[in-house]
Amino acid sequence: MSIEVKNLVKSFEDKVIINDISFKVNDGEVLAIVGFSGSGKSTVLKLICGLIPYDSGEIITSEGDIAMVFQYSALFDSLNVFENISFALRERKDLRKLYTEEQLEEIVAQKLELVGLQGIERKYPSELSGGMQKRVSFARAIVTKPNTILYDEPTAGLDPMSSTLIEDYIVSLKHEINAASIVVTHQMSTITRTADRVIMLYDGKIVFEGTPDELLKQDNPYTKQFVTASLEGPMQMKA
Amino acid sequence: MATLAQYLKKSATYKIFSALINDIGTFLSTIGQISHAGIRMLKRIFLDGISGKELSVQCERFGVSSLPITLSIVGMTSIIVSSQVANEMVKQGGSGLIGMLMTILTVREVGAIMSGFAITSMIGSSLASELATMRVTEQIDAIDVLGVDSVGHLFIPRVLSGILMMPVIVIIASAFGVILGGIASNIFSGLSYRAYFTSVWLGLFMKDLWVCIIKSAVFGGTIALISCTCGYYAKGGAKGVGIATTKAVVWSFISIVVWDMIFAMLFFF
Repeated sequence: MSIEVKNLVKSFEDKVIINDISFKVNDGEVLAIVGFSGSGKSTVLKLICGLIPYDSGEIITSEGDIAMVFQYSALFDSLNVFENISFALRERKDLRKLYTEEQLEEIVAQKLELVGLQGIERKYPSELSGGMQKRVSFARAIVTKPNTILYDEPTAGLDPMSSTLIEDYIVSLKHEINAASIVVTHQMSTITRTADRVIMLYDGKIVFEGTPDELLKQDNPYTKQFVTASLEGPMQMKA
Repeated sequence: MATLAQYLKKSATYKIFSALINDIGTFLSTIGQISHAGIRMLKRIFLDGISGKELSVQCERFGVSSLPITLSIVGMTSIIVSSQVANEMVKQGGSGLIGMLMTILTVREVGAIMSGFAITSMIGSSLASELATMRVTEQIDAIDVLGVDSVGHLFIPRVLSGILMMPVIVIIASAFGVILGGIASNIFSGLSYRAYFTSVWLGLFMKDLWVCIIKSAVFGGTIALISCTCGYYAKGGAKGVGIATTKAVVWSFISIVVWDMIFAMLFFF
């Protein structure tokens, strides 16, 4: 077991966003969290990586690093690609004295090769396309060899080919570093191509848990509405 | 009763008090954020140390890039003051004291205050908008997720550069101001350079210089800490960046004046 979430509750002011949810993700497994906008999917990721505190419940993660690939890449725009990827290795107290500049160059080159972007070390994020920025953010996330990777809508806003590339990286990373991964997404191709299991959130609660195939079967009124993108059903968009 | 409450809620008095209470809440919350960030930054200095490379980058930004605007503002203020004062002093037979007056005024007040305002406008606003943009684009979240303390990483070099560079800027700007004051006195009231610069030394004491240096360091640290804090806690998108920048400038201006008053009371009364 790499991530275990037990009875997690989170409210913002008076509004309960996450309402007593529990799930587990094992090493080498990809869990997709789906649901309509505002259902609390990204909040779950921020709670797991400690960016925001939770009200009650428990989050148990294995020893080691947690990495996150942000929806809009969140690359440091004043740093070049090399500085972005090597950031944690240069700035973290426990890592900064472990590598020489030559070793850092080598590590960054390896990570860039893994995401198919060799030779762009000196470019700045503003010089890269959206898909390339996402791939650089992948490289930055895995540089510390994390055992948990969180993806916040990794394929949102990308063209179909770039989406496929990103989905392939998620799958290959799962095999290469055996990390427990959580992918928050709306995109059906990302769910079917990357996920081993899926949970659906609505109104802060889990309304479906199963495999991508079970999601597509639409046995549940929530999954049926989600897959068919219907406005009719138990889930109502909130203002 | 409910109708009365609804009626009262619509009244101007209620709205004024409600806005006032909100403002007091925001004021206290900002004080809390600045104090919290300051304490967290000090803790990180002891735990993680200081990055010399980043500190030198920020020192260059704080000192070198802001020097032209600071010199312009302090220099022009000195010209305006000396042009107003010199004529009257010459008429009243006090021409031998113009240099001394300008020196006291510049070293004790004008140099530090005007440099503080210039630095706030140029560097403070830039620090606040930089960190606010990083906040709204999740770059600060990314720093934390990568296992680096974002307050330590962002605040330490910026605040230390403010503390280190501000005295240097103020001393250069004050010297520039005193010199321009002499030139202006010569042009506007015919006062000789010899008379002006002889009296400069009459008004200059070591205590004034030390107070000026300490006060400038406090101003620099305060501007950087407030600006970084306002940016760090920004919320929302482009509007949030704008609000954070405005807040940083207003709070820095007010803090400069408050600190100046404290220093004046502590050292010159």
